[in-house]
Amino acid sequence: MASGDTLLIFTPLHNEPPTSDPATLDLRNNHPVLDFDAATNESAIFSAVMPRSYAGGGLTVSLHYAMSSAISGDIDWDVALERIGDQQLDIDTDSFAAVNSVDNTTVPATSGFVDVVTVIFTDGADMDSIAVGEAFRLKVIRDAAADTATGDAELLRVEVKET
Amino acid sequence: MDILNTPRDTDIGVHVGRRTIAILSEANRRAEWAKFMSDSSSTQEEIGITKQDLRGALDAVDVWVEANSGAINQALPVVARSGLTNKQKDRLFLQVVQRRFEVA
Repeated sequence: MASGDTLLIFTPLHNEPPTSDPATLDLRNNHPVLDFDAATNESAIFSAVMPRSYAGGGLTVSLHYAMSSAISGDIDWDVALERIGDQQLDIDTDSFAAVNSVDNTTVPATSGFVDVVTVIFTDGADMDSIAVGEAFRLKVIRDAAADTATGDAELLRVEVKET
Repeated sequence: MDILNTPRDTDIGVHVGRRTIAILSEANRRAEWAKFMSDSSSTQEEIGITKQDLRGALDAVDVWVEANSGAINQALPVVARSGLTNKQKDRLFLQVVQRRFEVA
C-alpha cells in the first residue's frame, strides 16, 4: 500500500456510542446516518486494528456528511485517535490524543448534498503513536459550540487513508 | 459569541400593567432554540440562516411577547379580561397562534 490508499472505512453502523452526548443513529431515505446535534457537542467512536499495509505516512481522515436542514452557515469537525495496542492502554480509562480539526466549512446549499472534508494526522504522537497491527479507536466530534449551521449534521461515512 | 455556554440566569420579572410577566430564562430560551432546530432536522426542513441568527430571532420573539403582553390583554373584551385567569389568557393566545400556524 502507498500514499493515498484507503486503509479503513466506517459507516454509521460501526459506531460505538459514547455514554455521554452520543451522536444518534438515524435513517435518511434509508441511508443510515449519525445525527450530531446543533446545540450540544456530540461524538461517535469507531474501533479498528491498524492494517499491516500502513507504511507510516500519517493518516488522512475523510468525513462524509450532510446537513439535515441547514443550507447556510458553517460546520466544525474534530477527530481524535486513541492507541490501545499491546499492553499500551488500560482500557478502563479513555486516552484520546488531542483533536485535529477541520473548521469553518461552508455547508452545502442543498441540505441533502453530501460534502467531504478531511482531517490530517502526522505519523507519531499526533495519531497517538498507533503502529501497524495495533487496536485503536477513532472519535469524531461535531464542534457545535463553535460552528454556525443550524440543525443536525449527519455523518454517512468515515474513510481513513494513508496520507 | 459562544451562545452555547452562556451562563444561566433566572427569569426576569417585569410589570406590565397589573400583571408580572417573566421573560424566558436563558435555559428556557436555549431549550426552545434547540427544540426548533431538532424539529426542523426531523423533517429536513431547510433553514437558510445560521443558528446564532435563529437564536436572535427567538430572543426577539420573546422580547416582543413581553413588550406587547399588556396590549394583548387590553385587546380582550372586558368580560374576558377580568374573568379569565392569566394562564387562561395565555392558553387562548397560544391556541389562536397555533391554529393560525396550522391553517396557513
